[in-house]
Amino acid sequence: MISQFSLFARTFLWSFLLIFDIPHSTDVDRGDVQKGSAEIFFRKVKFWNEDGEAEAPPVFNVDGVNYFHAKVVGLLFVATTRANVSPSLVLELLLRIARVTKDYLGILNEDSIRKNFVLMYELLDEVIDFGYVQTTSTEVLKSCVFNEPIMVDAARMPPLGPAALFMQGSKRMPGTAVTKSVVANEPGGRKREEIFVDIIEKISVTFSSSGYILTSEIDGTIQMKSYLSGNPEIKLALNEELNIGSSSGRSLYDYSGSTGSGAVILDDCNFHESVRLDSFDVDRTLTLVPHDGEFPVMNYRMTQEFKPPFRINTLIEEAGSLKAEVILKIRAEFPQNITANTVVVQMPVPSYTSRISFEMESGAVGQVTDFKESNKKLEWGLKKAISLLLTSLQVVGGSEHTLRAKLTFSQESHGNITKEAGPISMTFTIPMYNCSRLQVKYLQIAKKSKTYNPYRWVRYVTHANSYVARI
Amino acid sequence: MSGHDSKYFSTTKKGEIPELKEELNSQYKDKRKDAVKKVIAAMTVGKDVSSLFTDVLNCMQTENLELKKLVYLYLINYAKSQPDLAILAVNTFVKPLKTVSYATFTRNTQDPNPLIRALAVRTMGCIRVDKITEYLCDPLQRCLKDDDPYVRKTAAICVAKLYDINAELVEDRGFLDALKDLISDNNPMVVANAVAALAEIQDNSSTPIFEITSHTLSKLLTALNECTEWGQVFILDSLSKYKAADAREAENIVERVTPRLQHANCAVVLSAVKMILQQMELITSPDVVRNLCKKMAPPLVTLLSAEPEIQYVALRNINLIVQRRPTILAHEIKVFFCKYNDPIYVKMEKLEIMIKLASDRNIDQVLLEFKEYATEVDVDFVRKAVRAIGRCAIKLERAAERCISVLLELIKIKVNYVVQEAIIVIKDIFRRYPNTYESIIATLCESLDTLDEPEAKASMIWIIGEYAERIDNADELLESFLESFPEEPAQVQLQLLTATVKLFLKKPTEGPQQMIQVVLNNATVETDNPDLRDRAYIYWRLLSTDPEAAKDVVLAEKPVISDDSNQFDSSLLDELLANIATLSSVYHKPPETFVTRVRTLQKTDEEEFPEGSEGAYSETSSAHAADNGASPPPTSSTPPYATTKQPAPAAPVPDLLDLMGLDGDGGGDNAAVPVDQPVKPAGPPLPILLPAATGQGLEISAQMVRKDGQIFYSIMFENNTQTPLDGFMIQFNKNTFGLAAGGPLQVPQVQPGTSERTLLPMVLFQNIAPGPPNSLLQVAVKNNQQPVWYFNDKISLLVLFTEDGRMERTAFLETWKSLPDSNEVSRDIPGIVINNVDATIEQLAPSNMFFIAKRKNANQDVLYLSAKIPRGIPFLIELTAVIGVPGLKCAIKTPNPEMAPLFFEALETVLKS
Repeated sequence: MISQFSLFARTFLWSFLLIFDIPHSTDVDRGDVQKGSAEIFFRKVKFWNEDGEAEAPPVFNVDGVNYFHAKVVGLLFVATTRANVSPSLVLELLLRIARVTKDYLGILNEDSIRKNFVLMYELLDEVIDFGYVQTTSTEVLKSCVFNEPIMVDAARMPPLGPAALFMQGSKRMPGTAVTKSVVANEPGGRKREEIFVDIIEKISVTFSSSGYILTSEIDGTIQMKSYLSGNPEIKLALNEELNIGSSSGRSLYDYSGSTGSGAVILDDCNFHESVRLDSFDVDRTLTLVPHDGEFPVMNYRMTQEFKPPFRINTLIEEAGSLKAEVILKIRAEFPQNITANTVVVQMPVPSYTSRISFEMESGAVGQVTDFKESNKKLEWGLKKAISLLLTSLQVVGGSEHTLRAKLTFSQESHGNITKEAGPISMTFTIPMYNCSRLQVKYLQIAKKSKTYNPYRWVRYVTHANSYVARI
Repeated sequence: MSGHDSKYFSTTKKGEIPELKEELNSQYKDKRKDAVKKVIAAMTVGKDVSSLFTDVLNCMQTENLELKKLVYLYLINYAKSQPDLAILAVNTFVKPLKTVSYATFTRNTQDPNPLIRALAVRTMGCIRVDKITEYLCDPLQRCLKDDDPYVRKTAAICVAKLYDINAELVEDRGFLDALKDLISDNNPMVVANAVAALAEIQDNSSTPIFEITSHTLSKLLTALNECTEWGQVFILDSLSKYKAADAREAENIVERVTPRLQHANCAVVLSAVKMILQQMELITSPDVVRNLCKKMAPPLVTLLSAEPEIQYVALRNINLIVQRRPTILAHEIKVFFCKYNDPIYVKMEKLEIMIKLASDRNIDQVLLEFKEYATEVDVDFVRKAVRAIGRCAIKLERAAERCISVLLELIKIKVNYVVQEAIIVIKDIFRRYPNTYESIIATLCESLDTLDEPEAKASMIWIIGEYAERIDNADELLESFLESFPEEPAQVQLQLLTATVKLFLKKPTEGPQQMIQVVLNNATVETDNPDLRDRAYIYWRLLSTDPEAAKDVVLAEKPVISDDSNQFDSSLLDELLANIATLSSVYHKPPETFVTRVRTLQKTDEEEFPEGSEGAYSETSSAHAADNGASPPPTSSTPPYATTKQPAPAAPVPDLLDLMGLDGDGGGDNAAVPVDQPVKPAGPPLPILLPAATGQGLEISAQMVRKDGQIFYSIMFENNTQTPLDGFMIQFNKNTFGLAAGGPLQVPQVQPGTSERTLLPMVLFQNIAPGPPNSLLQVAVKNNQQPVWYFNDKISLLVLFTEDGRMERTAFLETWKSLPDSNEVSRDIPGIVINNVDATIEQLAPSNMFFIAKRKNANQDVLYLSAKIPRGIPFLIELTAVIGVPGLKCAIKTPNPEMAPLFFEALETVLKS
């Protein structure tokens, strides 16, 4: 089922499709011109797959119609236009619409959108007029949107563990805070006064085959979601020793390592438009009146050297021409009171690997190993991608884990397995830990009365973005 | 009991419409509310609910805000999602609309609640019916001056909507001035919308409406700081068309825009970058420029931390920016290293930029990366990585050897497609550095039998032929390929042919001699590929008449190739850079190649703005001027920049058909016009391409015409100077079709106050401009008394359609089937009404578009026609229209689909005449 929210006029013809998972695309049921565009879009996106290029680019043109799409938690948000518009504006808008929708509906999924299509109409109608974006602020929208959101039955949602809150989609809109609507009233009457400030960091590290760090980068966001009534002013203080704008590369070595107490040096940062920076230069505080809804207060980027949370050691020993042994060693280099979740290690092995037997360390609990053979890719005539997986649900700080895997080949190796086996990649989530050492020193809420004491949540989380060790 | 909205989708057992009708007229407002929601639901799934139009509208007469909004929502979505139906409905229900809704509308625009006032004016603007505009004017006038900014900002957009329906009305009622007043509004939202509306109106208008003067500039720059993020984008985009008067002003502008680079919204950042880049062109101080580059780098890099969709847009833009200003990101190459979880479209773009930023300083690091990518899983990415290594070798002479050794390492892994890709790039490396790296040929030969892709095979064969004298067993190697000669693709056959000839010329022994006979036989008698046959015959002739001459030809020294990683020529790059932060910069194509809304009437009025006036130049005109400046017509003297800013081709589409008809009974003789008898200026008026004001008194009008199967340039010189002008000469710049003068321009002396007219025969395919087809024809004219004049004309395909373009039905069908679907291009041409199929056929025939067949498809008429342009390129045409209803769909299939835009333009010209 595709629900299509089409908007506005000819000159700037865009229409929005909120499209729920692609496999159902045959169910398109609309009897007008836009049916055509939806079909063209799907055909094109599918065609790209068949063509070998795995994903259609987010912007493309078919017969004079430009199609934009952005993926947010499995939903495709699509816009079309004939004009030479700003693509970053359209894509940013699509992502914002996703965010506003989440603010309103609490949960962003096919079900919640379908249950609220009239509300969606009304929202989009206020967001865009004649192709021009009017506002994407939930705060502003609240004053002119009348439909009440219909909540999706919370019981039908998959259970969310404490850390799972941070887990949905490591690259896209990190799902933060809670899944309750910013606008809907709680069943029990008054809303709970609370505010969430999340410091979310995505880290990318590439280790060379000898274990040196080739590149490292942190993409961070301070994300806020406020359920405070009356919009009080908020003060957010960051590390006092915070520098912005390292002249790339050089300053790396002026500061000894990442464990020291040196300054945090950001390459670049930007702020939400509601943030006032009057005293930022003096004492590194941000002042703002938080909007309703979820929004990034500050985005930052850092290439300053930091201590990677995991070290990866790989040893490959060839045992004759048809056998080899891979030893993977993972060491968690963060404090013992911290635990990393959903740690997955992957390594592509040579295409002619026919069998792998695993040997786990003694006492390994909850570890899963897997040897995946992807047939689909074979069909495409690609190199067979076979992965070696070490999944351990949790890794405690300071611990070390080893996996031995014996590989059997169906043909003689060409002499150098390291060239045909992949780099090792890791994904993980570490709650209450951040690599940049950027901190929220305090979060001050302007008091309305003496008894006013809302809940304040400041949380940290580190996600692996591209965490790779070459071999 | 308010269940889920989805329940509205469920169908009822008995008649849905009557049931809804009943509910809409219920006395309970909750029931009515539910009913309107159901109607909207029915509409989303494509059900025809137009019969409920009146009933829904009646619900508008309520004081309940929520219900009222729902009705408006219904109306807006009805108008937007089903414009045709809406018009139909409005026509059917124009009476109830008038009596019920407009009264309510108008009343609502005076409602005490600003939300209602805004809603009413917003909805009215969305109903695209000419009849309603009269009702809209008075409320709109009021709303533009409303006390509430929410209403004013909505009214501002409404003006743009109204302009789209009825431009004249907007101008007559003074709405444009009202909009301009809103630029000084104290609410930044209103300012932003006023700017957006004005920019949109300007885009669709030929007259200057929205000029950014230094006064508006400073107002807008102030508003910029207080606007919402989206408003900032509108303002920045419209300001980017502003040309600063001097370096100082440019610096001031840049200084006020630079803080926008810190914005969290990527669209704001990119629009600010665009604006800064534009102004930087004027800034002369190298220190300021360097400083600006330094400031732009971090925000550009930060864009790469955004969602992958936005990264992609950023990367495509960065690709252009580094071509112009390589220093900006020269030290940031690491951020373009691919992450393993980047989507493939991001990885591909990163590779491109890595090649562009590769330098002697960072090449080792870059090569290490490429080498790593070349062992990844995704085949396309791996291939591109291998090719990237080759491109670096070609680009960086000092690193070439290192690149080659990486390639050799990769070849040794013996992954089939890696080897093949490596061989292709190594061939290019040989051509870039002749006689340097041939020692590796032996290694390449080892992989000979694994090659199965045509391009790789062809490359390897080229290498063998080129270096036949150094490869001991070259004859054996080539012979192994020869066995399968007939089955090879054309690309490989051609290379095999040439390589064998080379081998024979280098080693004229018995073996090669036998081989050459086999090959020549295969390539002449056994093949039906004309290219191969022609080439084989030429070799044959050469070898049999003069083997030494053959040596000179076949073994001639080849020009050294160069790095192609900066692909765009500077005029195209200028245009693309002027379009940073638009789709153009993502597609790397000028806007006119993909924007279907044809803006033919672009800038006829530019001549009204003499040089130095504070006038705003439209975006296109500045790009155009740059175009001219960068590639002046090939004449001896380079004109001063000012003279290149000629008025653009007289835009009104010339009435070609008429012209040809009239010319037909004039000079009946073909070919060149007699030297001494220039045709007197009697024919129909020609479009003025060089106005007298620009030509120091000389006015040139000209147009291309087709007559008796030949193309002529019909040109007229009008002398408004005080002296006689003589010695006229003409030259055409490279153009898509290689059009050039077929003989000297024969114009007698033009006395003051008189004019002379002549027909200049034109020839094709003389000097063909590379790149995608376009209609630009740059002309240079000189005489003995004046400097060289340059002007632009447009080539219409109409003069190129040949008389032999008629196709037999069967041939048409076969050709249609044989062309892949990717060669089909279609376009809707609005505003054309076909009233009579036969008349249309007759209208097209004189332009050499020939009727083939017609059929009926429901209420539509489908016409099939064919046309041909020189070199036998056919156009198979399908026209679909409903008789008497505006709008024509044209689909064409042709081996050269890139010609499609030119074709559509031509077709529209004929049909509109």
